Amino acid sequence: MDFVEELRPTSSCSTNFGGQGSTAHQPFLYDNPKAFPLSSLAKKQPTVLVICGPDQNGSIGLVCARHLRMYEYEPTIYHPQRSSQSLHQDFTVQCEKMDIPSLSYLPTEVQLINDAYNLVIDAMMGPDADCANLREPYPGILVTLKQIKIPIASVDVPSGWDVEEPSQDGINPEVLISLTAPKKCAISFSGKHFLAGRFLPYDIQKKYDLNLPDYPGTDCLIEL
Amino acid sequence: MDKMNQSSAEAEAETIEPLRYLSKGEAAAIETELLRDYRFGQQQLIEIWGQACALAITKAFPLSSLAKKQPTVLVICGPDQNGSIGLVCARHLRMYEYEPTIYHPQRSSQSLHQDFTVQCEKMDIPSLSYLPTEVQLINDAYNLVIDAMMGPDADCANLREPYPGILVTLKQIKIPIASVDVPSGWDVEEPSQDGINPEVLISLTAPKKCAISFSGKHFLAGRFLPYDIQKKYDLNLPDYPGTDCLIEL
Repeated sequence: MDFVEELRPTSSCSTNFGGQGSTAHQPFLYDNPKAFPLSSLAKKQPTVLVICGPDQNGSIGLVCARHLRMYEYEPTIYHPQRSSQSLHQDFTVQCEKMDIPSLSYLPTEVQLINDAYNLVIDAMMGPDADCANLREPYPGILVTLKQIKIPIASVDVPSGWDVEEPSQDGINPEVLISLTAPKKCAISFSGKHFLAGRFLPYDIQKKYDLNLPDYPGTDCLIEL
Repeated sequence: MDKMNQSSAEAEAETIEPLRYLSKGEAAAIETELLRDYRFGQQQLIEIWGQACALAITKAFPLSSLAKKQPTVLVICGPDQNGSIGLVCARHLRMYEYEPTIYHPQRSSQSLHQDFTVQCEKMDIPSLSYLPTEVQLINDAYNLVIDAMMGPDADCANLREPYPGILVTLKQIKIPIASVDVPSGWDVEEPSQDGINPEVLISLTAPKKCAISFSGKHFLAGRFLPYDIQKKYDLNLPDYPGTDCLIEL
């Protein structure tokens, strides 16, 4: 008899995948069309605000924005702190060259954001962020995000949440896109939860007892 | 999204410009621009292409359609970028539950190429130490062969061993061949008279001139090309369906 073992949430994304390839082709970006198909968007233009942090989570957001542009969404990036890492800068140039506009500041007037965009993608903090010690401008951005009415989709970990604990008073995303394996804080996530990133070698899966579900067909993501 | 609606909304009938087939120089120029001006990384491009190739294989040769008991695929990888793309393709096919075997006679010393090789090894993808010249052995063991030897930058008139020998073998096998970007041994700008005859061609980013009259299954794969480059080279790429990164031409 085959038991389907419970999908194991990991404590942190301790495996460093590194290299341009892995971030560059993060397949999770295919899921936003799943959660928010073009035809479902309320506004006239398929606008999406992508808020990118300074580190890897932010780079993933940049690649996501670039692919969304290919899928005919209209992403706008807000990228207040740019890493000096050349890889991060490369992703930034790629987006600029795709004519993806970049905001120089985030309006504190929440209604402006509600009016301009269909959704916000939170690509600020990853599992390695020190959520207790966020430096400006991120606490301010999170305050704004707690007030917006449009949906938030968080990349890997909702920014501001402790990676291992669901948050009491943090932002409340409608969609969570866990990369590779979900993190402990997502155990009781009640929104739409995707697992994305179908490339993890079987040996690693076994070593960490991940019990990943079977991805359908050739999909690189699955809704949990 | 609704380009069709847009054009019908405009009163005049719009002619759809034909897809452009690239010369060797144009293919090289586009890649140089992507790396130099658009700051794409080589590893990044190879990953994008490799995955798109794997998806094309799953479309052309679905698991359920394979004749043999095991979903075996032989992936022959050259020493350069085309070979790296083959390695990434093999790795993704493994995730899609095919059973790829790699034949990789000449390995580039480039560290990127070596990284891809390690990734495949760590996925338990077996590697052949030599290619049987006995064609029946290949026909019996594999469902298809993926030709990832030579790309558009190869000098097809001056191939060094072991590639001419491999091509001779490939001309005799009975199982289908799927070529990555350019059928190995073909001149990039001319359909070949006596080269290998792949059943499937997976053109990367834009098709090359040699594919103009390709009569097999022809996929265009790799949906990432910035609009500015598309316009600059007048590529007239077709609309990819939905969020697919490949389209059958």
